[in-house]
Order: sequence, then C-alpha cells, then structure tokens
Amino acid sequence: MDFCNIVVAVDGSEASQDALSHAVNLARQSNTTLTGIFVIDSQWADYIGNDWQSSKGARQGFLDYMRKEQEGQAEAARAQFERATQGMEHASFSVHAGDPTKVLVEQASSATTGMLVTGRRVFQVSGRPSLKALAVTLAKKASRPFLLFP
Amino acid sequence: MNNESPGFFRQLPSALPGLALIIVTLVVIRMWIEPWMAGAVILGQKGWLIKVFHLNFILLGILCGMLYRNVIFGGTMPEIFSNGFKLSRLMIKTGIIMLGSLYTFSAIVQLGAMAIFLIGGFVIMTIVMVLWLGKLFGLDRSMTGVLANALSICGVSAAVATAPAVEAKGSQVAYAIATILGFGILTMFISPFIGHALGLTDLQYGAWIGTGILNSGQVLASALAFNPNVTPGSAVSIAEIWNIMRVISIPFAVFAVTVWYWAGQSEADSAGKKKGLGTLLVEKFPVFVIGFMVMVFFTSMGAFGDVGIKGGPPASETIKTLRDVMQWVFGFGLVGLGGYIDFKELRQAGGAPLKLGLIVGATKYIMALVVVLLIKDYLVSI
Repeated sequence: MDFCNIVVAVDGSEASQDALSHAVNLARQSNTTLTGIFVIDSQWADYIGNDWQSSKGARQGFLDYMRKEQEGQAEAARAQFERATQGMEHASFSVHAGDPTKVLVEQASSATTGMLVTGRRVFQVSGRPSLKALAVTLAKKASRPFLLFP
Repeated sequence: MNNESPGFFRQLPSALPGLALIIVTLVVIRMWIEPWMAGAVILGQKGWLIKVFHLNFILLGILCGMLYRNVIFGGTMPEIFSNGFKLSRLMIKTGIIMLGSLYTFSAIVQLGAMAIFLIGGFVIMTIVMVLWLGKLFGLDRSMTGVLANALSICGVSAAVATAPAVEAKGSQVAYAIATILGFGILTMFISPFIGHALGLTDLQYGAWIGTGILNSGQVLASALAFNPNVTPGSAVSIAEIWNIMRVISIPFAVFAVTVWYWAGQSEADSAGKKKGLGTLLVEKFPVFVIGFMVMVFFTSMGAFGDVGIKGGPPASETIKTLRDVMQWVFGFGLVGLGGYIDFKELRQAGGAPLKLGLIVGATKYIMALVVVLLIKDYLVSI
C-alpha cells in the first residue's frame, strides 16, 4: 500500500508509543514521509470559564503554568518522535496550537495526509474532554484513512 | 499559544454580539415568559409552572445559556458570541460588589461570625476527608491536592488557584472541574426544591447552600432560584456572605494543601517551588472582595440612604434602584454562566476522582443541611 504522507499524533507519553512505532514501521516499509504532530491546547482560558472568582493573578498564573506544562510535553513528544525515527530520511515534527480534537480531525481530512495514525488516549494528559470521544469523532468526520490504537 | 486574557476595553467591541444575546435573552424571559408563566393555567392551576417547578427568571436564564451552548451551537460557543459570554464573569463580580449595599458593618459582623464558624469547620473537615480518601483510593498527590481545595472552598476557582502549587497536570484539573461542576449543577437545580419542600427560611436556605454547594457560581444561582429578591435577609444576601468567607479562605487553603503536598516530596524536588503565605495572599486574594467591603463601608456611612434592614426604616429609593439593577446584573451573569456549562466537560468525570468527589460532595451537602437545621435557633438574621 502506498501512502503519500503518514501523520502520527505524538504526546511523549506511553499512550502514543504504540501508534508511533506502527507509524514508523509503515513509513519505513512504504518509504513514505512521516510527520509527527503535537497539539498545544490553546483553549484553557475558555475551558475554565466557570471560574469567575479568581484574582487576575491566580487566573493568569494558572494559564501560564498550563502553557509551560504543555511546552514541556511538546518537547517530550519531539524527543520521543526523534528517538523513534532515527536514521529516517523523510521524517519531520511540528507543533500545532488549537483544540486537539479539531486539529486531529483537520489532519485526518487534509488532502496532504495519506493516513493518520493515533492512539485513542493521545493528548489526554492535556485534559481536553472532547478527546474522550476521539474515536467516534474521527469515524464521523475524517475523510482520509486513519489507524486508531487503544 | 495565546492563553492571555486581553483587557476589558480591548475585549468590549468583540463582546457586543454575545452581550446583546445575553441581554435580549433575559429581557424576553423577564418581560414575556415570566408573566406568561404566572398567568398560564396548566392542569387546572394558575401559575402551575412556577408553583410546581419553582421556575423563575434566574433558572430560565441558566437553562437558556445551557441550551445555547449545548443544543443550538452544538457544544461550542461560536466565536462571535464567545467574548460576550466570557464577560459575563465580570457581571457577576460587579453584582457581588453591588451586593455590599445590602449590609452595614454590624450586619457583616453578625453574619460573618456565624459564617466563619460554619465555613471554617466545613473547609477543614472537607480537606481532611479528601486527603484521607485520596490516600485510601490511591490517588496521585497532585490530584488529591486539587480535589481537596476544589471540594472544600469554591470549586473551579480553587482548582485553578491550587493546580500550579501542587504541580497538577491538565487532565487532573479537568477531572476535578468536571466532578465539581457535575455535582454542583445537580445541587443547583435540586436545592430550591428541597428548600421549599422542607419549608426552609431564606436564612436557613442561604446558610445551607452557602456551606454545602461546591461551586460559587452555583451558590449564587441556587440562592436566586430559591428567592430572586435581592434584599437584606434574602437567601442570596446570606449565601453570599458565606461564599465570600469561602473565597477569602482560598490563599490559606492553597497554603495548607501546598505544605501537605511538598511534605511528601523530596527536598531536591521542592527547592525553589514552595511559596510562602505572603506571596500566596498577594497572588490569590480575590480583589473584588475589597470592592465588596468598600461598598459595605459606604452603605454603613449612609451614602445610599437607609438600607431597609428588618425593624428599621424602609430602604431609600437609591437602594431600591440598586437592588433592581442587581437583579438584572445577576440575571445577565447567570445566562452567561449557563453558557459555560458544557455537557462534554462533564463527561470527563470518572474513575476514582469522581467517586471521591461524589462521596465528599454528598457528605458535605447533607451534613450542611443537618447542621443548619440543628442550629437554626442560633442563626441570626439581618
């Protein structure tokens, strides 16, 4: 099977390791480009909308803390991807910002994506609730083939 | 990644569509739907919807907000309305500051003394219970720390204030928020029914929900749903004093939980990460409480005329106007609060954090009612 570009979601955790290993094998076997992506969740300010009592310092302090946390996760994801793709010629990694579910759906529907490979529990450490229904959302909305790992 | 909140005036133009939707919603509810409900004859009874379901403009406003987000807009607030709904937070804070016009300093001392006793007891009891159950259920210390403050003080605000101090992950904050909101929304809707069924007075009801409901927004909503009047001695005037006591305790509770959290970590891990009580007070103290106290000061000085406290002269025209404005301001804020209730967020709840949250939340809710009923003769009205 020939895939023009395999996109794999990586978050630096064990949850994405299976999907990453399979994506690397597929890419090596079919000599295809492999793109690793990490999504920084930019929706936290909206997510904590019910918080109306905090001082500005507490609220902003929390948002800054979450940004740092996720930047750390992005670095861990990059390291995980680079370890797995050592020696591969056509492998690149990119960091996106937005709602992780939406970004994954966009990737799974993009003309430049040959196949999306992802674990069901990817990015869950960032806490987005919509990710709980990732499999259903992708099944409904993805227009490109995708491979989902438990 | 842009997670910073822009200033009020920069946000205002983009907030206008959302604010317009909130205002139109509340005007339609108060001008047409509420009067229609009061006169409508259903099952042979005039005003059946109000008598049976205790529906008023507050509950209808929250339900409309929930309907917008979860049904009409399919789970995500459209960009065009998003900033307006975000600004509703400011309306609730403004309303709470204006609420200071219900009290004189002597009334605050009377109510505050009672509130400190109950709130202090329940905050300490809840924190201890969560720490114990967290250990029993084998929860991660960060998760337990966030849950301890979120369940003991004021829900989401406390979770947000505590998370950086106990190195909580995003997923742990999301678990805590989902647990609190799920339980809080349930209690927000059932409490007015229970209150009316038990024949609670405004004082008893306000003391109960001010102590027993987890999230501050839901305390406000539940108090106004029980009695939408904003006058001295009304449910909201009591519940909010309780609530302000809880909010003031945020920096102290964050400090206590931080001390507990770092006591379980190695010296090397904790180096440079622990914060002192002074720093936490500056960072976490909610500034709007100062606005509330300034309002109480002016009220005590007679700047707005007579307050209309029981047994005293009737309220001045200025105070009456302020109270009418407050009802609208709270109404707007609570339509916005409804718009932030996201059913998808609630689905995040699960596992041991949910189990712990339900046990502690239910215990606190029931115990608060029992204690209030036991001490009802000692509760002082204003």
